[in-house]
Amino acid sequence: MSVIAPKFKLSGFIQSLLDNIFWILLLFVLIGLPAVFIILIVMPMPVLDGELLTPFLALSYLANPTRILPVIHAFMTTDIFRVMAFPGFGFAALLAASVIFAERKMMAKLQLRVGPFYCGKFEGILQLMGDGLKLISKEIIIPAKADKPIFWAAPVLFVATAAAFVALIPVAPGWVVADIDLGLLAVFAVIGFFPIITILSAWSANSKYPFIGGIRALFQMVSFEIPLILSLLGVVMVTGTLNLSEITASQSNFPWIIFLPIGAIVFFITMLAELERIPFDLPEAESEIVAGWLTELSGMLYGLVQLGSYLKLYAFAALFVVLFLGGWNGPMIIPAIPEQILTEGIEMGPITLTVDGLQSLFGNTITQEMLNGTFWFVLKTAGVIFFIILPRGVFPRVRVDILLNLGWTKLIGLCFINIFIALGLLYAGVLGPGGLQ
Amino acid sequence: MADIAFLALAVITIGSAIAALEMRSLIYGSIALMGSLGGIAGFFLLLDAPFVALFQLAVYVGSIAVLILFTVMLVKRELIFKKIEDKRRKFAGIGLMLILMASLGAIFIDSGIKTITTDEPPVDFRDIGIDFVTYYWPALILMGLILAGTVTGALVLARRVDEEDEQRTN
Repeated sequence: MSVIAPKFKLSGFIQSLLDNIFWILLLFVLIGLPAVFIILIVMPMPVLDGELLTPFLALSYLANPTRILPVIHAFMTTDIFRVMAFPGFGFAALLAASVIFAERKMMAKLQLRVGPFYCGKFEGILQLMGDGLKLISKEIIIPAKADKPIFWAAPVLFVATAAAFVALIPVAPGWVVADIDLGLLAVFAVIGFFPIITILSAWSANSKYPFIGGIRALFQMVSFEIPLILSLLGVVMVTGTLNLSEITASQSNFPWIIFLPIGAIVFFITMLAELERIPFDLPEAESEIVAGWLTELSGMLYGLVQLGSYLKLYAFAALFVVLFLGGWNGPMIIPAIPEQILTEGIEMGPITLTVDGLQSLFGNTITQEMLNGTFWFVLKTAGVIFFIILPRGVFPRVRVDILLNLGWTKLIGLCFINIFIALGLLYAGVLGPGGLQ
Repeated sequence: MADIAFLALAVITIGSAIAALEMRSLIYGSIALMGSLGGIAGFFLLLDAPFVALFQLAVYVGSIAVLILFTVMLVKRELIFKKIEDKRRKFAGIGLMLILMASLGAIFIDSGIKTITTDEPPVDFRDIGIDFVTYYWPALILMGLILAGTVTGALVLARRVDEEDEQRTN
């Protein structure tokens, strides 16, 4: 019979705990506090209630929980928050992670299995966290004679490119990381980087299965980029702009899928091919070429590629929502925050709780429109993601020649029909100046 | 700010162009070529032409560089090329390049381009598009016909009839 720790001594355990506490405190005092102060001093500080937020004021604000709201509000207006948290990486990564879990659970239900079940109290809800911990703790094995710099850089570049794609998506009115005039063109430019990274990663592994998968991915992505770009030109024609926020705002009355259904269908099919989803998952065909271009990746490198591909899935679904389904537009269903709470405070019997900065926080940053827009955007995106992951439980994989034939002949023809429909709508005066919008 | 960005882009563009020529590994050479083309896209961004910059990224880095990379990966270098190391040719090439650069630079500086100052806003790409379909429409149609002819010719050249494989059809 084996014991987990045969030489266990309580005194040694307590000593090790005290040691750890000592070192944590020492490191915090020597490195943590100076770092906090350096960040507070170097970063440009906002002005709150007419006085500059000095480091000491900030620390005293932090010590008083009721005065912390202005600090949070000031942080929420910075660019760092936009890039890291809300419309940017954090929000997208959260959605992507929930997509992974929802996909596994949904596939299991379709195939009459239970799926992730034991991790966490309810239906294996912590499975993803467990998988992440497993991937982080695994050893990264690099194949012999692999090209090390490219092999290491490719997964990181993959995530970075997916994050750049995410940064272009407008989530709510005014809530977008990079609101540029040529948003859709920037999307095309960013999409062009995925095949390069894929083929470089596949080549650098110096192994035949990744190379076959990488070449398939290259064929597929490069040939489906053309119908992808052409299918979106109809929307650009009827809106007359390339700015994604303006395209979304132009759909306040009706989404473009009503007028351009062919473009939407073609974009959806090309989206499946660009994302390497079933029925177009030839680059990762697990029954033919092990795991395609992911075969030699292990540990967190594999985890990064997975994160990147699900971020890409979210971004494509969000692009579909923005271009065809009206983005953040929807009926106002989020109730307004009662005026009394903002101005006078919350009354609870004899006590009245007033919180400073609540008014400016809910008046300027977390407005009713922003919450409502985010709600509709997330709802529509979740619907599109559902239809992206649904074929995985239903369809078989297509052959590569059928795939290329589909892309080069049928989809491009449909794209031109879509463009002619858009032109006809414009010239007939249904849309555009003098028309419906 | 623009000066620092300009210097950094110049270093990236020229450095990766030299690397693309000098690297022994063809894959790294084509990656360096991508860096060079991306640097040119950065120059277009600095010159207030984001439309051209994004097309440079989408077409040159996204498609042409991929084609080069793809070709390089499928070709075994040792079977086709023989290495010829010749110092004299290299220095002659560098000298020729320097002479060309110096003469071109002299022409540019002499042409009075430095005295032109303009405060006008950059040209909107919409205006260029409107010009194309109104004033320059013959050029647009000609370009369209040439491109269509090229694509048709390529399709005709690449067309082949697959032989019937009896075993497979049965």
